[in-house]
Amino acid sequence: MSEILLAIDHVSKTFPRIGRHGAGFAALARLVVAKPLTEGFNALKDIDFSVRRGESFALVGENGAGKSTLLKIIAGVLQPSKGSVTRTGTVGALLELGAGFHPEYSGRENLKLAAALQGLVGAAYEAKLDEIIRFADIGEHIDAPIKTYSSGMVVRLGFALVTALKPDLLITDEVLAVGDESFQNKCITWMERYLAEGGTLLLVSHSLYHVKKLTQRAVWLDHGGMRMIGSANDVAIAYQAFHEAKQAGAKQVAAASDDSALGQYAVTNLRIERSDGDGLTVYGALKSRDGRRPQVALGVIRIDGTPVYGTTSEIDQIELQEDGIGHFKFALTFSDWRLLPGAYKLRAHALDPEGMRLYDTVERDFTVSGDSREQGLVRLPHVWGASNRL
Amino acid sequence: MVNPLFRALVEREIKNRFLGGALSPVWWLAQPLLSLGVYALVFGLFMRAAVPARYGDSFVAYLAVGLWPWLAFAESVTRSATSLIAQASLITKTALPRAFVPLSTVIVTFALNWLALAVIVLLFKALGFSIHVGGILFSLPAWISLFLTALGLAWIVSAAQVLVRDIEGMLGPLFMLLSFVCGIQYGLESIPVAWRDIVLANPFTQVIERMHETYLAGAGFAVVDAYLVAGAALIALLGYAFFRRVAPHVDDYL
Repeated sequence: MSEILLAIDHVSKTFPRIGRHGAGFAALARLVVAKPLTEGFNALKDIDFSVRRGESFALVGENGAGKSTLLKIIAGVLQPSKGSVTRTGTVGALLELGAGFHPEYSGRENLKLAAALQGLVGAAYEAKLDEIIRFADIGEHIDAPIKTYSSGMVVRLGFALVTALKPDLLITDEVLAVGDESFQNKCITWMERYLAEGGTLLLVSHSLYHVKKLTQRAVWLDHGGMRMIGSANDVAIAYQAFHEAKQAGAKQVAAASDDSALGQYAVTNLRIERSDGDGLTVYGALKSRDGRRPQVALGVIRIDGTPVYGTTSEIDQIELQEDGIGHFKFALTFSDWRLLPGAYKLRAHALDPEGMRLYDTVERDFTVSGDSREQGLVRLPHVWGASNRL
Repeated sequence: MVNPLFRALVEREIKNRFLGGALSPVWWLAQPLLSLGVYALVFGLFMRAAVPARYGDSFVAYLAVGLWPWLAFAESVTRSATSLIAQASLITKTALPRAFVPLSTVIVTFALNWLALAVIVLLFKALGFSIHVGGILFSLPAWISLFLTALGLAWIVSAAQVLVRDIEGMLGPLFMLLSFVCGIQYGLESIPVAWRDIVLANPFTQVIERMHETYLAGAGFAVVDAYLVAGAALIALLGYAFFRRVAPHVDDYL
């Protein structure tokens, strides 16, 4: 195992509640006697993980989950209320848009202090200055006050500095989202090279694409706690599923009431076996009140409700196997189905014997694992050919 | 070797003083000169404050050597009070050692005022006032004790100000009172005997007295310098201890 660059040891952070008139003498006295804060807002609860060299990490989570607070504690800007953070090697932090830049000073002047803050000084700084300014690519604005910059230019300058530092551990908050596309690509290209050369990244991003592309492991923060830690891919899938389920939530409540209105035919059992990239087998049982043989509809949908594929026993002209009076069962295997990694649902409906009316709906979640970065729902078979026909 | 971050902060602090306003380049000298003029008018001309005989015959010179060190002290502490709040974007988003922020303010203020008084002393000497150029050197222990006291207080008020925002407002009246009871604008002989012991017990009176002795009476180093510097160093240490406790947590209140 490679060395641990960053060890986060049971870190918690509590923010005091501040009234309109400031904190007052009581709060000051509490700090002077070093008495811990007893009540307040718990921004982080018992965060505990470590980052090894070359093992890039992503932090995902909703707004207010504590990602930025955690990054600030890792960067040494904020003190944890409990626990500790141990850093080994050099750490470069790109925390916030224009963090530490003073609006009244020129880009060049700000660069000097910002570089000194990251430990780049003297001759080493002078030697890298041209490279930094070239990467930022903001032309003559480098000598204008930062207050005249667009937000994109501020990010360019901040990122350009980081490229010159090449720290052992690079911490970035959601800053890349600000630059224009060509600059974003430039940053991603730089980051990939940095990672290839053995750099380690700790990234906060809402772009799961970037998470999967740039990091190996990820932590999902939820209301200040660690909800999940694992491979970047698994965490990204679970996090995406959580979001899609949240968005689909409203739709489903409305749909559910229509389904089991009559109960003439119902799905009594539904079980999934062996779900992976290649396929799965579903076993199910249906009940029929009038003893007639019902039809079953089976569909695969993405967790947000996007349909992928659906069929029925009626379309496929299959008769359900009778299993005692009024009870029927089926088994269906999907094979070689090319579904991309992600969270899905298998939905089964009970239909009348004519395959016309829909009576019941039962769903089962399943996950297709894998670490593909392809986009969409299914992998379409494709072949790359020679380009001489262009 | 000076910490490069500290040097960068000091450079900024100096730039802040000299850039910005049209008068900025001369302001560091002009502002105390104006104060000197006001005090000279009120205390020298209207109230005819007497200069103790051992300090020569020029009230303006007497006033100048007490006023500049005092202004350095009062101004540096007052400026420091809001320094953490003014640099909030820097200290809450970067791992800048926070103690540097008040320190750079105090150092720059003292350096500029010491230099200004040196210029004034040379000027007065050239104009034929009874003033001793050697005082520029021999007053250094007194300057250092004022500097260390200011630093200790600056560390305390800068951190405390973040939580209790009324502190800066209290400093003005407090420093004005202090300035009137340490013999800057008039000789200690003018103070009624019943009060004189109390005023003399004030360490600031001793520091200003050392300024008078070195610049005006040509005195050299004295034993009292050691006591003053030691006492001031203690204040600086206490201030630093206070800052160490409070400053790491000011983010929660900024």
